[in-house]
Amino acid sequence: MYRKQVRRRRAVLALLIVGSFALLTITYGRGSNGLQRGVSTIFSPVQGVADRALKPARDLVDWFDETFDAKGENSRLKSQLVKVRAQAVAGQEATQENAQLRKLVELDQGPVLAASAYEPVTGRVIARSPTLWRSSVTIDVGSGDGVHVDDPVISGDGVVGRIAAAEPGSSQVMLLTDHASAITAKVLPAGVQGVIKPEVGDPEHLILDFIDSTKLVHGGQTVVTAGWCTQGLCSLFPPGLPLGEVTKASIVDQEAKEQADVRPFADIRNLDLVQVLTGGSRG
Amino acid sequence: MILTPKIVARIAAIGLIGVLLQLSFFSQVELFHVSPDILPALVVCLALLGGSLTGAVAGFSIGLFLDCLLVEALGVSSLVLLSVGYLAGLFRERFEIHNSLVPALLCMGLTLAAELGFAAIQLMLGIDAPVSLLIVRDMLLKSVYAFFLGWPIYLLVRRLLRPALVEEQKLPRRRQPRVLGA
Repeated sequence: MYRKQVRRRRAVLALLIVGSFALLTITYGRGSNGLQRGVSTIFSPVQGVADRALKPARDLVDWFDETFDAKGENSRLKSQLVKVRAQAVAGQEATQENAQLRKLVELDQGPVLAASAYEPVTGRVIARSPTLWRSSVTIDVGSGDGVHVDDPVISGDGVVGRIAAAEPGSSQVMLLTDHASAITAKVLPAGVQGVIKPEVGDPEHLILDFIDSTKLVHGGQTVVTAGWCTQGLCSLFPPGLPLGEVTKASIVDQEAKEQADVRPFADIRNLDLVQVLTGGSRG
Repeated sequence: MILTPKIVARIAAIGLIGVLLQLSFFSQVELFHVSPDILPALVVCLALLGGSLTGAVAGFSIGLFLDCLLVEALGVSSLVLLSVGYLAGLFRERFEIHNSLVPALLCMGLTLAAELGFAAIQLMLGIDAPVSLLIVRDMLLKSVYAFFLGWPIYLLVRRLLRPALVEEQKLPRRRQPRVLGA
């Protein structure tokens, strides 16, 4: 009887392992499938509700995190903070939203997007991948709102990533810190071009790779999307969208590795509202 | 654990709520720049109460649901979480849990194992970018968070699955003999 149980247990385990490998082989690198579309369609409204319901609790935890980071506070300010904490948590949500929407509107009306006739669709982040190996978020707008795969996604600060999968009520955004992300970029004002790639595990560090080693890049210079177009093949991102700032660009790194370090403008760790640039002309 | 349709439904509901909570809450908060991951701890708790088979099936299902919601390649999270569930269940079947710290320690150890397993699979599948050493800090802190979150998760899951648990009857504590006049 016991042996039979052990045999059954091992058979189920083997079946599950083989099933996992089979699923991985079938679905790896092929985008969304019917099962994922169905599950996303059913659960995206539930995720939206859960996201809104849990926002005050998230703000409270973030408040603690930010407090740990703060240095040099005196006792008076600390006691004041404790008093206003409850009020701050309640008002934080509305203030954050307001500021983010204002920034988005400013970016909307900028010359870059106005010229390329994009139609921005605003979405809210409702879920986030639990691991740094996959850097992606789910937003509450999808193909029903005109969102398509590969549409650029921005926040008020700059480029965030692009749409990896679009379902009717939600979309998956591949962040620019995902290992599979690569964006053609140029440094202003020098005009040096390269490819922005992430360093897996560090969301505050990007690498500007394949730069021209004969033209030097300096710390503090701004990096924007290059937005090239050649022989009918165009970049997914329009030109001129802010990406980040060069933080370290040693001559050795530039000449030997053709690389420079970049800090992204967008706060990838704390995304809440983003805009998907639908339609428009690519590059 | 006695698995009835009602208990299976409860385990499914626990898994579903766990995944939704992970994506909507735990993945979006940070303490010391690291987000907690409760899913390995949840699978460990289910396995400690239900055994290796329950742990493996729960891990596979939770992983599959997670990959479906994240629109990622199916099978990666399933493989990692089913291994974690099976190992935790095997521990439960081989050893008695005498100390109340054991579930929390197992959650910590197996969360670290899950993070390492996930990293190994990702590296085997191919990473197109350099990897920062900060990923090690992320793994270690995630396992520390699992230690602190593992115990409340274990208590909650045990409470929800109590009707199905075959618990050993507690023996009445013997009274110490008293010496009169001492």
